[in-house]
Amino acid sequence: MIRLANTLGFARALVATNIKASLALRGAFVVQALFMALNNVTFFVFWWVLMQRTPSLRGWRLADIQVLFGVVAAGYGLTVTLAGGVRYLGQAIEEGVLDTLLTQPRPVLLHALGLRLQPSGFGDMLSGLLFIAWSGQLSWRTAPAVVLAVVASALVIVACGIVFFGLAFWLGRVDTAARQLWELLLTFSLYPEPLFGGALRFALFTVLPAGFVGYLPARVIRSPSLPDMLMLVVGALLYLVFAVQVFQAGLRRYASGSRFTTFG
Amino acid sequence: MCHMTLSDVAKHAAYARIAIAQGRRERGELYGRMVFFVVILGVFSSLWRAVGETGLAIAADPKALVWYLAATEWILLSAPQIHIEIQETIRRGDVVYRLGQPASFVMAEFAAGMGAVALRMPVLGAMAFACAFGFTRWTPPLATIALFIPFAVAAVAMLVALHLWIGMLAFWMQDVAPVFWLTQKLMFIFGGLMLPLTLYPAFMQRAAALTPFPVMLFTPASLMRGTGAVRPLILARDLVLWGAAMTAAVQWTYRRAMAGLTVNGG
Repeated sequence: MIRLANTLGFARALVATNIKASLALRGAFVVQALFMALNNVTFFVFWWVLMQRTPSLRGWRLADIQVLFGVVAAGYGLTVTLAGGVRYLGQAIEEGVLDTLLTQPRPVLLHALGLRLQPSGFGDMLSGLLFIAWSGQLSWRTAPAVVLAVVASALVIVACGIVFFGLAFWLGRVDTAARQLWELLLTFSLYPEPLFGGALRFALFTVLPAGFVGYLPARVIRSPSLPDMLMLVVGALLYLVFAVQVFQAGLRRYASGSRFTTFG
Repeated sequence: MCHMTLSDVAKHAAYARIAIAQGRRERGELYGRMVFFVVILGVFSSLWRAVGETGLAIAADPKALVWYLAATEWILLSAPQIHIEIQETIRRGDVVYRLGQPASFVMAEFAAGMGAVALRMPVLGAMAFACAFGFTRWTPPLATIALFIPFAVAAVAMLVALHLWIGMLAFWMQDVAPVFWLTQKLMFIFGGLMLPLTLYPAFMQRAAALTPFPVMLFTPASLMRGTGAVRPLILARDLVLWGAAMTAAVQWTYRRAMAGLTVNGG
């Protein structure tokens, strides 16, 4: 229990430090957050225009797509805000940045994830919540389901990032390929579930879990049910546990890069 | 630009050759874009089939819409994001060394961008059209594709110039990424990347006409739909006019940057 409390305290300190560092350049922070929110809104215009012409797409209406968009945007925003280092994990492994983290009495993965914060993530979170509110699904009654959906989505995105970028332990320079996989995950999660069938839908709930990033969290918000919530929670936790195991396995075979660098 | 001699062209062509050589070694991004083509065309062929089920007239021919998307994505993905490299060159101060070289910084960056285009366009084009054929089992008439290609090349050149302009904003901005995101998304909408502009509300179509984005994406790609709505000579005229405007904007920005540039140290 003491160890858990210490770890949580450390995580809190990492986040606070990152936020302070980002706010040091206030103008840049605001511009990045605002432009990302604007970026998401303009991207949604496609769906708005299409759904003006056709009210329903295999049972999905504009409000459903707003929820899907919102939960993925908010989940992604939460990821790059609290665990922004996940996108640089491959680089950290390949360039020996983990050497410095290994010497410290803190969980290496947590430290690596918390090394960076992306200010645009606040814009993603803001626009995500706005989309969900715009859909009419956000109320005091559905707020817990929204929080659960966004957090679960973020956990799965982080887990996938750990696995994709953690491939660097075995394959070396994988940054480009890992980034492409990560973007594939997000691309698939932004399109309505009924568009995909058969083997592809199976893949989207297993090897490339876009289903747990977008579809299932959106379903939990649109029509909350205990089985769906349980499936979402269990799925997100399983992916996270798997990702941690992959990272630990990679760390056991990690060899120091003997690289001189500044840290902090 | 009017005063460029053959030796100037050869000088800048060297930058293009270097970019091609670099691109050949760093193939990861190219492979990633090829995979992206498969995914996005697969998703949209499914989307247009679903839209067709609703009876929407525009989706009466989902095959043409998939080829339209292949065309717009080919143009968009063929343009390298040179603004990132330019931003880094300016932020690190390396731009000072470039200014001393016997080659225009702007022309050199543009030439390097077009070198990357020369490598990407054929590969991505083959992939785009192979995927479009794979998902639709249909091709537009070969004459249509042949007419489209030179316009696509011109559109990509304009995109490279746009990215060059965005990169030069780094002389004033710490991070040009927000400008790039916004420009890219405006291009998605007003360029009709995923949805032909004819589907948009009238006020959005009028707004789009005031931007260069339709001539970069929507109008050339509409050739693929074979509706006969696009007149090649008009498109060529619009490309020349917007290209001239883009060139003027790039040159003006560069002159303003040079006027305000302070070089410290040696």
